[in-house]
Amino acid sequence: MTTGKKSFYSEVDFILRVAGEGGEGVISCGELFARAAARTEYHVFTFLTYPAEMRGGFAMVQIRVRDWTIYSLGSKLDCLVVFNQQAFDRTIKELKKGGTLVYDPQAVQPPPDLEATLLALPMTELSKKATGSVLGKNIVALGALGYLVEMKQRVLENLVGDRFAAKGAETVKHNLTALRSGYAYAAEQGWRRILLMADLRPKGSQYMLLSGNEAIALGALVAGCRFAASYPITPATPIFETLTRLFPLVEGRALQMEDEIAAVSAAIGASFAGEKALVPTSGPGLQLMTEQLNLASMIEVPLVLVDVQRGGPSTGLPTKTEQSDLNLAIYGVSGESPRIVLAPTSVEDSFYQTIRAFNLAERYQLPVIMLTDQSIGLRKATVIMPDLSHIIQLDSHVARTKVKIPQPEFINLIDRAEPTVKELQDYRRFRITADGVSPIARPGIPGCQYLATGLEHTETGHPDYTPENHLQMSRKRFRKMEVIARSFDANPIEIWGRADAKIGILGWGSTYGAIREARYLAEERGIHVRHMHPHTLSPMPHRQISNFLVRLEHVIIVEENYTGQFAHHIKAHFGVKAIELHKCEGIPITPEEILRGIEKVAGIIDEYSIAKL
Amino acid sequence: MSTASPNYRRKQILPVWCSGCGNYGVLRGVEKALGSLKVPAEQTVVVSGIGCSGRFSHYLDTYALHGTHGRALPIATGVKTARPDLTVLVVGGDGDSLGIGGGHLPHAARKNVDLTFLILDNQTYGLTKGQSSPTTPWGCVTKTSPYGSPEDALDVLPILLAYDVSFIARTTSLQIEKMAGIITEAIRHPGFAVVHILSPCVTYPVLPWKALRERIQPLPEEHLPSNKSAAMELAYSADPIYTGVFYSIRKPTLDARLRHLHESALKRYSAKGKAPSIPSLMERFI
Repeated sequence: MTTGKKSFYSEVDFILRVAGEGGEGVISCGELFARAAARTEYHVFTFLTYPAEMRGGFAMVQIRVRDWTIYSLGSKLDCLVVFNQQAFDRTIKELKKGGTLVYDPQAVQPPPDLEATLLALPMTELSKKATGSVLGKNIVALGALGYLVEMKQRVLENLVGDRFAAKGAETVKHNLTALRSGYAYAAEQGWRRILLMADLRPKGSQYMLLSGNEAIALGALVAGCRFAASYPITPATPIFETLTRLFPLVEGRALQMEDEIAAVSAAIGASFAGEKALVPTSGPGLQLMTEQLNLASMIEVPLVLVDVQRGGPSTGLPTKTEQSDLNLAIYGVSGESPRIVLAPTSVEDSFYQTIRAFNLAERYQLPVIMLTDQSIGLRKATVIMPDLSHIIQLDSHVARTKVKIPQPEFINLIDRAEPTVKELQDYRRFRITADGVSPIARPGIPGCQYLATGLEHTETGHPDYTPENHLQMSRKRFRKMEVIARSFDANPIEIWGRADAKIGILGWGSTYGAIREARYLAEERGIHVRHMHPHTLSPMPHRQISNFLVRLEHVIIVEENYTGQFAHHIKAHFGVKAIELHKCEGIPITPEEILRGIEKVAGIIDEYSIAKL
Repeated sequence: MSTASPNYRRKQILPVWCSGCGNYGVLRGVEKALGSLKVPAEQTVVVSGIGCSGRFSHYLDTYALHGTHGRALPIATGVKTARPDLTVLVVGGDGDSLGIGGGHLPHAARKNVDLTFLILDNQTYGLTKGQSSPTTPWGCVTKTSPYGSPEDALDVLPILLAYDVSFIARTTSLQIEKMAGIITEAIRHPGFAVVHILSPCVTYPVLPWKALRERIQPLPEEHLPSNKSAAMELAYSADPIYTGVFYSIRKPTLDARLRHLHESALKRYSAKGKAPSIPSLMERFI
């Protein structure tokens, strides 16, 4: 990962939005453009808004293309493509002064005094002429866009070929015709090019273009997960859809169950039987799954759940983003049962945190909940292809005794440890050990038959409600959390920004990029800010967070919800006074919004002005 | 562990059941069935829910998972999908199977997952001391229906037939030998097999043993288990209460269906049907 101020500047940094009505091919136009950019070795970062319904309603895709790491969606648009008047009215205020507007003159009438380069593209008409149907207008727009940014036509043609190959030669032909007619129209009209993207600069690594959801599915695949159970729920469904495509190819099994409770139950069963199991869902599904979460904690089976958070509560805003399931993930359950809560910060991080989630689950035998959200789940971004020859398979005995600090260039995969010969002699499934982790036998091993019960039980698994036993087994289960929290000291959390900065920002999950850019913007204005973004939200990396907090005068906690769940968590653990910066609008927080918060805090002179913030 | 004469009892845990409870009989029936099939104990998983029947998994020295109320079927579905080599028994009461977990039954049937599901029906919630259950008849006085239950009882077998469960049988805990035979057949059946076991509660009796003994009768000898409409008619009979195998058909198990998905996926992926490597799958995302 690149750090420091230098990386913030780059030569190509271009923001495009395509907007129209759901069903017009808006999203696929943007998606194809993004993939083409990724194939020409640019970094890409996208954000989508689907209408909640299949057809009609506002749909848009925003794409940022850069020749260096991208941390956020950016702010004002360099180029806007609109398919209809409604899309124009809703998004024109986002266009930069002097930006470029591409519109369908048949559907949109821009005011003549608009401070922008106006490029009329009769996409409906061109599509009809080229293919005999209006359905190809998004591909016409893609062709014209390709001309506008001087992307090689061949790159787009290959992509369109790949994309439509499954639909037959006729469809490919139609779409290629549409693409070329858009490209040719822009050339005939003498459009002035706004960018030069044809300049291929191979960097020796290949870029996948993945959504956060796809990254999770691939992470699970690489981690050795071969069982998934799920019930469809927006915006998490693409994780399961991806697995249903990939698993049958590698003898993995993906079961669509009748509801979320059945899904998590099946995963508990599969994990008990010895498989690494994944359960993707979103908040309302996690809420149902809490029924089974404490069973997994109690019988100590490894389990990975992913909650792609959406706007809540209740049915809420299924297609929008929010970070409001933190309390549910950390505390939502009857009784007290340990689980780990992780939060990836980006699409790429979703891949690596998924592998880490499986490692933690297998190593410590408990449920791991990974909190992502709609904004990283559905966003597509470039992810460098990892070198899979650098994967080391470890069983959890080895991981426990030998591997203290993972080697950065290798991906360690932790597999379940079978009982050793010594442990087999007097097998106790829930044996009390120094780190709380007991040998786990998979069915089929003779002499290890054990009872896994949700009732309080002894080391051997037999039910026992005596006071001493309940206390000792509660200690055993929670000892794992203490060991995990201590283990963070071996892998310090990164802290960005100058060590003497008096203002610090703590964030979690998808706000990482926006906070990082806000820090750069603040530095440009002479305000120094430190930034910490823990991946593990429970158990807390206690010592490291308190070391971070203690050197600061002001702590800003940034999150996308109404009540400040992470802030409450931090305040409860560390007793600090923190300034809460929330956004609860269903859309991601922007660097500018965070910058405004930083500027206000920098100007704070007394307690009263904090209260007014 | 010798597999010649397997011993399936986990002796360290003593049953919590009342003396005279039919569940002791079912436990013996299951032991006999496993013994006659010579299934190694370590290759067997028993999954149970909550209630008197939930304790069933405690007393067999197999791998056992005593989970939450009503979820034994989906848990067992996960076990069997991950490990088709294991023999998986599921035990639920009338509350587990038809109340809180009633929604899982049709889906286990649709998947035809190769499980043996024993429904221990005592028509009451016995462990919590006698509340009404989904099979408690209308008008019956229980702890939660002191003036008589206001609801109808569910008729178990017609429901199973409607769901097209691929093996459906009924037996009672009165007849251990017959029960063991039926359970053996159910375990042997490739697919989802449900055995409805009438096992009256001795402490909170809804249908007392005596009344049950008078009403049970074996299925007519000429009944063909492949004849669904005949099975349906016999299933609706309340007096006599028929016992035996009502319905048994062959259809692909979940394991076979998933293996088929694997083969078709490979065929579509490459003409030679060769399994792709993980890196080659990731390259598809470029």
